Amino acid sequence: MYRVFLSWRFLRRRRTNLIGVFGIFLAVGALILILSIMTGFLEETRRSARGSLSDLILKVPPSEGARRPSDPGPILAAIRADPRVEGASAHLGWMCILTRQDARSIGILTDSQFGEIAGIKLTGVDAIEEQSSTEFLESLDRAGRDKDGKIESPRVRVADLANPFAAPPEYDASVGRPRASVVVGEKVMAYHQLRRGSFITLMTAVPDSTSDTGWSAKKREFVVAGTFRSGENELDLERVYIDREQLARFLAGASEDDPVPSDAILFSEVLVKLKDYAGEAELVREELGASLYKAGLIDESCSLRTWEEFRGTLLGAIENERVLMGIMLSLILVVAGFTIFAILSMMVTEKRRDIGILTALGATPNGVLALFLLIGFWDALIGAISGAVIGTWMAIKIDPFERWLSETFGVQIFNRDVYLFDSIPSVVTPLAVGLIVLGAFVCTLVFAAIPAWRAARLDPVEALRND
Amino acid sequence: MTSAPNVVLKARGIRKVFKTGDTELEILHGVDLDLVAGERLALMGPSGAGKSTLLHVLGLLERPTEGTVDVDGRDAWSLTTLERAALRNRHLGFVFQFYHLVAELDAVENVMLPAMIAQSSSEFRRSKAAHLKKARDLLASFGLSERMKHRPTQLSGGERQRVALARALFLDPPLLIADEPTGNLDRDTGEKVLELLFRAQAERSLSLLLVTHDERLAERCGRVLRMEAGRIVGGKLEPTAIAR
Repeated sequence: MYRVFLSWRFLRRRRTNLIGVFGIFLAVGALILILSIMTGFLEETRRSARGSLSDLILKVPPSEGARRPSDPGPILAAIRADPRVEGASAHLGWMCILTRQDARSIGILTDSQFGEIAGIKLTGVDAIEEQSSTEFLESLDRAGRDKDGKIESPRVRVADLANPFAAPPEYDASVGRPRASVVVGEKVMAYHQLRRGSFITLMTAVPDSTSDTGWSAKKREFVVAGTFRSGENELDLERVYIDREQLARFLAGASEDDPVPSDAILFSEVLVKLKDYAGEAELVREELGASLYKAGLIDESCSLRTWEEFRGTLLGAIENERVLMGIMLSLILVVAGFTIFAILSMMVTEKRRDIGILTALGATPNGVLALFLLIGFWDALIGAISGAVIGTWMAIKIDPFERWLSETFGVQIFNRDVYLFDSIPSVVTPLAVGLIVLGAFVCTLVFAAIPAWRAARLDPVEALRND
Repeated sequence: MTSAPNVVLKARGIRKVFKTGDTELEILHGVDLDLVAGERLALMGPSGAGKSTLLHVLGLLERPTEGTVDVDGRDAWSLTTLERAALRNRHLGFVFQFYHLVAELDAVENVMLPAMIAQSSSEFRRSKAAHLKKARDLLASFGLSERMKHRPTQLSGGERQRVALARALFLDPPLLIADEPTGNLDRDTGEKVLELLFRAQAERSLSLLLVTHDERLAERCGRVLRMEAGRIVGGKLEPTAIAR
């Protein structure tokens, strides 16, 4: 009886114990809040990273000497024949330089401060088949919408979602020869102050065996048909979509209306969407890769990877950051535990006489040990439970809380333009909350055990002489 | 080893040696002592004679280097820690010179502390009303009716010692051990406390082992033993029939 009663009484009557309770409260609350936000970031990033990719990505680097087919048709047919595959599409990717200028001035290349030129990833896709394997259509539809989903900028959106590479209504064919259309990332659009119907110039280099350098430059003007929003910052800042055959013509030096030359590079990767990614991804990847290789459709230079492997560095970095943050913040728990240790050590010294009298009245050393351990337990109970409640509440309400802080102090804490999230992503995992609370208990009890053990070993006679 | 039925405390051949590095200091040199039920025994002697050490050994707080201490017919130092703690709780009541009350508890709670230690939470809850009544009655009989909810810092020295006496008596132990119970009080207050102590001892037929420097106080006990240099050098070694 006395252990519970006295430990609670000692806790209540000694204000210094509140420091320990507050320390645990702070540590648990901060850990839950930060880890929830980091988990939210991770999940949001996974979602957006997946949105731009399909489940499996087959990389087929263009190679002159390769004996595999240069047309993606046979590969797409073989992949689509697999009953576990929902859809597949071919991409042709090429690095380009984008400028709004005509690019006749050498200044745009020599001036490092010149802001109207940018390296972009030009991606050739087949608009129809793309919808079967990626969120291309969704990313087109997201463009120009506000956070509530209402269209607020219709003039940046593609006019016809079913035919995104059609000339935009603003395009006036009379101004020059026909131009192919491109769909640019939302950030590209904003950064270069483009709108639907704007002209951009793309420049790049292609292999050319007839040239002394082995390369020849290509430059062509395109019309902007609209924009897309993938939700992935990097993608929206660097990617420009174009019809795959138009890209093949551009790289081969053929006019927009000419047939695609037979020696043109037609694709560089194939994106595959599976019916059951979670359950079959690894198996399908292995079997599909083996069957394509066996059929002579791909060779050793090709690679077939899951989207998670493809974005492994990014996802790994965020996960790593989350773990690192967890470990670093766990140090707060250790500090809180050390505070408990210091407070209890002080209490044991102050309570030597009480320990002596308790022993004289019949308390055992184990009873004294339990008494001081219980003080640590109450510290942990109050601190961890209140920290868990407040931390969870703050993690759930982080967005209005952040807005209130920003408005109150006039400082933007979370820049929504940088992260492209309309709200701070926060995911509270009950298991994580449970583990943090358990960790707080273990940490506190371990630190409380040392002074408690010292109290239990006190010689009662020495303790009673303490006057 | 068994004791005579009316002997509540029996010590034989108590030696206590303290070691400091290579140096050994023998504080008690084979002390024998008997205390029968209802007897008052005063232990006197100069400072350093070994009175307090003997008291701690007899109070089961300090293990003797040699010798036996029988309490309630049991060799206390051969018992387990748990059994010895229970023996201290049920059979011995302590009154110290410096009261030793727990500062965070009020007077009633301090008095009930032995029962809290003796019982589990559920047992104590079941008998809490009875404990409260007993504690309040005890304090009231010691003139502390108005001080029940006061904490030690809100009490005078005499009041604190009366609370300590009530605590020592709460579980009706057969043996009361008092170490200079008036040593920290003025003459009048000390006298009042002694009156209460002797009255309670007489009413309950307790055995009282009292350590004191005060000759007048010792004279009020039925038997006086004098110690010097760790030995009993004077007084009547045999127990006296109930002396009041």
